[in-house]
Amino acid sequence: MRREVPGYHGCYLRIDVSDGTSTRTPLEPQILRQYLGGSGLGVAILLHERAAEADPLSPMAPIAFVFSPLVGSPLTTSAKFAVVSKSPLTNRINDSLASSGFALAGKKAGHDAIVIVGQAQQPSILVIDDDHVRLEPAGDCWGLSNQATQEHLRNRLGADFQTATIGQAGEMQVLYATISHDGRHAGRGGSGAILGSKNIKAIAVRGSHRPQWSDPAALVGLAKQLSEKSFGPATAKYRELGTASNLLTFNRLNVLPTRNFQEGSFAGAIAISPEELSVARDRARASCVACTIGCEHLYSMKNGRGSVRLEYENLFAFGPLCGIDDPEIVLEASRRCDEWGLDTISAGGTIAFAMECVQRKLLDEPWLQFGNGQSLLKALDSVISGNGIGPLLAEGSRRMAHRIGHDSIAFAPQVKGLELPGYDPRGLQMMALGFAVGTRGADHNRSGAYEVDFSEAVDRKHVGPESAPLAVETEDKAALMDSLILCKFLRGVFTNFFAESAEILRFVTGWDVTASELRETARRIVTAKKRFNILAGWTPAEDTLPSRMLQKSAADDLRGHLSLERLNDLISAYNQARGWSPEGWLSQADMHSESF
Amino acid sequence: MPVSVKVELFGIPRARAGVAQTVAIGHDLGDVLSDLAARFPELATSCIDGRHLKPGFTANLSGNRFVTEPDTLLREGDSVLILSLDAGG
Repeated sequence: MRREVPGYHGCYLRIDVSDGTSTRTPLEPQILRQYLGGSGLGVAILLHERAAEADPLSPMAPIAFVFSPLVGSPLTTSAKFAVVSKSPLTNRINDSLASSGFALAGKKAGHDAIVIVGQAQQPSILVIDDDHVRLEPAGDCWGLSNQATQEHLRNRLGADFQTATIGQAGEMQVLYATISHDGRHAGRGGSGAILGSKNIKAIAVRGSHRPQWSDPAALVGLAKQLSEKSFGPATAKYRELGTASNLLTFNRLNVLPTRNFQEGSFAGAIAISPEELSVARDRARASCVACTIGCEHLYSMKNGRGSVRLEYENLFAFGPLCGIDDPEIVLEASRRCDEWGLDTISAGGTIAFAMECVQRKLLDEPWLQFGNGQSLLKALDSVISGNGIGPLLAEGSRRMAHRIGHDSIAFAPQVKGLELPGYDPRGLQMMALGFAVGTRGADHNRSGAYEVDFSEAVDRKHVGPESAPLAVETEDKAALMDSLILCKFLRGVFTNFFAESAEILRFVTGWDVTASELRETARRIVTAKKRFNILAGWTPAEDTLPSRMLQKSAADDLRGHLSLERLNDLISAYNQARGWSPEGWLSQADMHSESF
Repeated sequence: MPVSVKVELFGIPRARAGVAQTVAIGHDLGDVLSDLAARFPELATSCIDGRHLKPGFTANLSGNRFVTEPDTLLREGDSVLILSLDAGG
């Protein structure tokens, strides 16, 4: 009999929703140690499932819900799961993380991951009740919002089931549809469209299998220390103000993307800032299950219409990026995306791109104007109604640019098809490198290179190739955090992240893991994602930025300028620091290493 | 010769000081931080340790260069931005 590693169940559950059958696939200890969990284990499973070669919206394409060795432990922020698939938006690897009770319940069902393939005959709810899997008709909740679906399933199945759902956007296979659980989203890259393509409205899960820990007493002691540190100054910003407090800082530094990245600061920033909203509106705080930070800040809407979570990314995407300075519009747009299951960054980025196309008379939709809040809401509505410009917007900015032509791809705010988050890469040039080489596209969660920009280590407006290893370091840290899984808002409390992570893993698993092993693990995970992309058709040409961001304009004197030549030097240095070819190709050994 | 600089506060430093900006006088960054600590006790408690910023906070000169060394010289007309270190979100 195979020996189970503490912290793990040693298998993943593979469900074919075409007929409801399921199998348990063993995960050998060596694989668990090499890829850990979350994003890392997810990409290993997807490589094993040959997902890179599949059309992500075809029945055969797998989507994996992956837990981690720390889920269910007393460690703060560890109740997280990764949704890993090939993205229908980018056709590259996509790993989106979300939090809370679904992670706990999913792992307690007795598997380290749940992999779904096939296509249900009719709209269905996938129910996983410990080892028992069944499909139930979803007819009575198809068409409902995320919140309504979760409420419906609570009543139907009982409160001990935790649910991950898609809203109307996932049903319609909008290419940036999310998967939602309890108000949080596996947000980027369109994983909701994949569930929609499989006719799965929701996954409901409960379980009774508690994993064991190798050294429970030591783990509890360490968890207490980590929780105490999490109340300290390193997390005060998230706890007291939330991520939205980036807005005024970024505005001052001229890196707040405004009107589809045409400018780097926004005159209306103060009106929508959390500092201003806190005065004018009621604010409540919330947190994920098993989290001591509590970064979520909910602001009340007018006329008793409830409260909405406001993060920096939805604030920037529906505010400055679209030229909107009306906080009620920003909150309403965010609320609709929460309910319908739309990635706010891609939704805001695609609509801002459309607004600029109208501005340049490339698109005959004169109502769609920067600064017009009602036109933003109308555009969002059209994505869900499928009317007018909606089907075009539903494909994201890259596909939209290809349909519009006229070299509009030059100002489509995307890398590999994924819309840029709220960091202007011209003035944050380590982040520019992170965006360009990111395996899931332009992304601030898989590369934390902005941390280097906000330090004395570089001149953020003129970064040279000698600094590329710093981008590798932040990407490796992110890969490890996303695989353990711990919340990135905790990163400031660690003094030696790799060494402290090794200690955590030792207490959980009993492995004699060291900091240097975890550095190798992180690199292995990033390389596995690159391998996935190469198998999916990646070429070096896609590691770049929208060409407008590489051409100097008058505004760049304030914002910073990054030429194509210097970006390419940065990319080449990054690739070589990773041990890849200067263009980014992997060695034959890396391409053919067998994961399983 | 001490110079007068504008100090702009963001995030937690702004919340602690209760103001968005002020003026401080000093030769260098350390002088400015000491001046701020003397005038804003809550800022001193949470963000400033003598002539240094506490971990988790950083300073920026006029929207350009990030600085933490207290001996960093200041020039007339400089703005000193005090902000939370982590930008993510």
